[in-house]
Parts: sequence; C-alpha cells; structure tokens
Amino acid sequence: MTYPTNPIYKLVKDVTLSAIEGKDVINQVKIKPTSNSEKIIPFHEANTDYQEYLEWVAEGNTADPAD
Amino acid sequence: MSTLKVNAIRGTGASSDAISVNSTDGTCTANLTNPRSFRNLIINGGMQVAQRGSSSTSDGVHTVDRFAMGYGGENEAPTQAQHDLTSSDTGPWEKGFRNSFHITNGNQTGGAGAGDYAQIIYKIEAQDLANSGWNYTSTSSYITLSFWVKSSVAQTYYVRLNAEDASKAYSFAISVTTSWQKITKSIPGNSNLVVNEDNGCGLALYFIPFYGTNFTTSGHTNDSWITDSGSDQVTDMTSTWWTTNDATFEVTGVQLEVGDTATEFEHRLYGDELQRCKRYFQMYANSNGKYTGITAVYYTSTHIECMIRYEPEMRATPSLIQGSGSNYYGVYRDGNRDDFDSFSGLNASDHRGGSLYNNTAVNAVSGQVGAVILNSSSAYISFSAEI
Repeated sequence: MTYPTNPIYKLVKDVTLSAIEGKDVINQVKIKPTSNSEKIIPFHEANTDYQEYLEWVAEGNTADPAD
Repeated sequence: MSTLKVNAIRGTGASSDAISVNSTDGTCTANLTNPRSFRNLIINGGMQVAQRGSSSTSDGVHTVDRFAMGYGGENEAPTQAQHDLTSSDTGPWEKGFRNSFHITNGNQTGGAGAGDYAQIIYKIEAQDLANSGWNYTSTSSYITLSFWVKSSVAQTYYVRLNAEDASKAYSFAISVTTSWQKITKSIPGNSNLVVNEDNGCGLALYFIPFYGTNFTTSGHTNDSWITDSGSDQVTDMTSTWWTTNDATFEVTGVQLEVGDTATEFEHRLYGDELQRCKRYFQMYANSNGKYTGITAVYYTSTHIECMIRYEPEMRATPSLIQGSGSNYYGVYRDGNRDDFDSFSGLNASDHRGGSLYNNTAVNAVSGQVGAVILNSSSAYISFSAEI
C-alpha cells in the first residue's frame, strides 16, 4: 500500500496500564486517514491495521513519540 | 402401502445420480439445489449491510460490509458503492437481490500502466473455512463459488482465490457482458492446501476488473491450484475496462459453499447479516445529537474513562475509527457539558471491549459520571477488526 508521508503515525500511551504498572505503556498508534477522522490502532498481531503499521516501520519509518 | 426399492434416482438426461440410496442403513445422499441453512461461507453476499456508508472513493472496506475495493496506479480514483438494484436488473432482481457491490472507474488519463489495478476483495476467516466440512486436501472434495456479475464493458475478467496459509492460488476466467449473468465455479481441493484454524485469512476472493502486466503473464495457469506469485496472478488482461472512463463492474449474490453443486443463494435476514458483519466492524454511534449509550467516568478531574463492550465479540482487538473535529463530542454531567474533539485512545482493550478515554479537553470533578453525546453530524465512533 501507499503510506502517507506526513503526517504519519503517532504513538499513544495506554494511560490505564501506565498507571497500574507505574511506567509508560505504549500499546497503540494513531493515524489520520482524513482531515476529520482518526484511527487508533492497538498493538495486536491479528489487527490488520497494526500489520500495515509494522510494514511501514520495517521500511525504515518511525512514528512520532507519544505525548 | 408399497415400497419403492432402488439404489439411485437419476434424471433421464443426467450423467450423475440426483439421489444415491444406501442399500443397508436406510439413508441417502441427495444432490440438492434448493436451500439448506448456514451453507454460505460468505457474509453479506447479498450486499445488504453497509454500516460505513453507501459510496466512497477510498480503497478498503468503506461501503458494503466485508467487501473491499482495491486499486492502484490511478489518475482518478474509482468509486465503490452499495448500489440499489431495480426491476430493470433482470436476473438478480427476480432472485430477490436488492443491492450490489458496484465499482465505477475513474478517468485514467494516463492509460493502462503495468502497475495499475482494480479489484474487489473478500476475505474468509480461516477457522470458518477449516471447520466448513470442505476436505480441502482432497482433489475429490469441492467448494463451489457462485455470484451474479455485470459490467458496462463486455470482456473477459478473472476471479482469483488465494489460500494465504498455503501460499496457493486458483484463478479462472469469466466472460462478462452488459447484462446480469450468474457464474458458478466448482473448485477442487489440493494436497498442498493449508487452512489454519485461526482468525487470520483462510481464503481471499478477488474479482478483477483490471490487473496491469506487473501482476499477470500470458502463460498463466488458470483452473488449477498453483504457487502464489505476485507477478503471475492471472492471464494478461485487456485494458478496455481500465481505460474506459466511468466503466462499471458490479457483483451480488456471492455464495461459497461446500460441495460440487451451486445451490440457490441462501438469503438471510438483514439482522442476521448485520450481526455477522459486526465481528469485523461495528458502527457504535453516528447520530448527531443522540446519546451514544456510553457512560463517562471522571477518573480524575481532567480524564474520563468510557467502558465499552463489543457485541458480538470481534475477530481481533479492533482499531478505533472516529470522527475528529472541533467539539464533536460532549459529556453531560452535573448540569454542564464538557466538549472535546476526539477520544485520546483506547485503554486496556481486547476483542471483547475496552475503555475509550480523553485526557486533553475535559474538566470536572473526579468521580463524577456523565453521558456521552455526539455534537456533530461528522462525529462517529466505530471499531474495525477487518481481516
């Protein structure tokens, strides 16, 4: 597939698990498919959006850091 | 009363038995073409359900549930649509179909490039195929694909099946005209086929209006399971459909069933199909000015958590897809309303549920609760676990 070049993916913190574990847990990533929509993708191996994200990372790209 | 004792019943002009009678145990095997329930492995094959909308130029699943449009190399994007059939759609209309999955080509001013393509994709969950009863490693065991198809450009098109767990593919040609016609194709098993019992893709179906030569060869082998090759997916195709502005290609009544006979399409109720579709996609809320059914709990004064549960449970942990814009969402609590643009993320989620949260725009008192409402006609909350 053709990935957008900019903006790209942005990592998202799981605030619940981060609070429970006392450290930042990054387990999702955000992308804006259109100007007025947003997709938040969990790091789950069977999720096909996550599989596309991993392909994008494998091509040498890096997501923006989480807030 | 008398008893008719036979071993088989066969039509006078037929080459095989319609009914084979077991001579000892009182049972028979019948080659039925009339309906039996739960035999169609395709969900939404009648194209009834379209949770996301009725028209889109995006690739992927964006209109008819479970069916995706794919394209590449375009000068102008094709349009996918859930298309309303009328009594003029002779054939499928009389068979009770009221919708089709419809592609309208864009204006491909650059002609047909080698890397250009347009396709319709349907992916069957592997465990559904593994448990279907098809003895897929046997060459004498069949699945049968049937569907209605029509195009504004009469030509030869191709259908391709990809058994992804085995990296094996099977393609066949279809001669499509400007009138609706029903295609049936029985496909045997193969000793090299593998279908995992998991939630991945067991079999992908491709209906192909056009593939450029990067994906085709003149010597491609049709009507046989062969090793999947990205550069040899079907026979070289004429580019007429791709180079015809606003050319159309549509399908409906897609059925895949175990056995070597195409039975009548298994019409299912809208509610039944919707429930099956929701394993892969759920439009949770999309009505402006309506409550979403979601309760927000103020975890802190500036952080809400909104517990949700997917019904039915989804194929995999889903992506959250939401509208995002100025004050699209609100929380009514304690006589006031907190507005925010979008949910910040989905916490501690799996395929059964999770918690939407926002920690950027809300402000109340920790421990308060409120009701989430949509403030915009462009606001929506959906979850996708498509294959």
